[in-house]
Amino acid sequence: MTSIGLPHFLIVGAVLFALGMVTVVTRRNAVGILMGVELILNAANVNFIAFNHYVEGPGKITGQVFSIFVIVLAAAEAAIGLAIVLAIYQTFRTIDVQETDLLRE
Amino acid sequence: MPEVPSHLRAVLVRLGVLAAGLAGIVGVAVLNRFAHLGLAPTLLLEYVAVTCVIWGLNGFLFRTVPLSGLSLLVFSAAAFGVLFLVAYFVGAIVAPLLFDAAGQFIGLVHLTDFLFYAFALMTIAGAAGCAFSRNIIYSAWALLFAFLGVAGLYVFLGADFPAVAQVLIYVGGILVLILFAIMLTKQIGGDPSLTNAHLGLPIGAALAAATVGTLAYMAVMTPWKEAPSRSYEPVSAALGTAFLTDFLLPFEVASVVLLAALVGAVIIARKEIKEQSDAVLE
Repeated sequence: MTSIGLPHFLIVGAVLFALGMVTVVTRRNAVGILMGVELILNAANVNFIAFNHYVEGPGKITGQVFSIFVIVLAAAEAAIGLAIVLAIYQTFRTIDVQETDLLRE
Repeated sequence: MPEVPSHLRAVLVRLGVLAAGLAGIVGVAVLNRFAHLGLAPTLLLEYVAVTCVIWGLNGFLFRTVPLSGLSLLVFSAAAFGVLFLVAYFVGAIVAPLLFDAAGQFIGLVHLTDFLFYAFALMTIAGAAGCAFSRNIIYSAWALLFAFLGVAGLYVFLGADFPAVAQVLIYVGGILVLILFAIMLTKQIGGDPSLTNAHLGLPIGAALAAATVGTLAYMAVMTPWKEAPSRSYEPVSAALGTAFLTDFLLPFEVASVVLLAALVGAVIIARKEIKEQSDAVLE
């Protein structure tokens, strides 16, 4: 029998979430911040699927359904976010979030 | 310092290495003999043994950076710390996996555990590389390993469809999109330390430590109501049924959201062309 249980996956998710949060908080590059958001969404997905497997039990897949929705929204978020980054770059010629502090050109 | 002939120097070096090895062996023997001494003297003896080994190897392996005096002691302390961590890892984490309660060697029965740790390590190392790399290209490639590791974890949890979706959408879609954005917004060849600068990293690290501590404490200490059995069946058919029955409204809304995101991304990213056509109209 395997000794891997629910807490192992939750701890991996927690570390993933914390590293994503560090990325979001400390990066100055807008693309780097988007990468951190992807890490945070992945951490949430790990938790969804771990709870689905260990708590919901066989035959129930609500957690996996939610993980698919999270993946769909992550794809939409990445497309919109990177389009905004490109628009910012076209306007300011930089994507350093410290310097792009104007809403107009 | 007088010049020593090279062959004599090699002999001396070998003698030093031999002495160092003997010192290490004697140190280990002494440790086992006097284990009842307590933690602090044991650690001190171990540290002295490691210092002897380092001193014997000194001039042989570290010829370019000769160690002497305080730097020898500091380097020995660092090597001792690494060895201590390795010994602790082997003794406290690996050994319980290799032997059952009766002390019998059970070997690869826990292969799945090792695979889990390999995938978890891959995920966390990738995420750490993404968080701390100074070059944003390296961050993106580290993200690849994080995504693949998460896909492996999904397989461990009996979620085949989300694992494949993870590989297809994250690795094949989002990561390629991120790399495109990096290439379009950054002058490749500039100073790498400027492409992915950090701001307030100590505070961020403290925040991460606090978050991991809280969440890990919660994960370990909460008495989760675990299901009595687990299934590793294929889930694609059940997922399709769920999407078209119980989750029909969210499914349709998600498709509308994707359409809106697609149109919005095109409109936002094509801003310059729009301005150009305005100028032509004027």
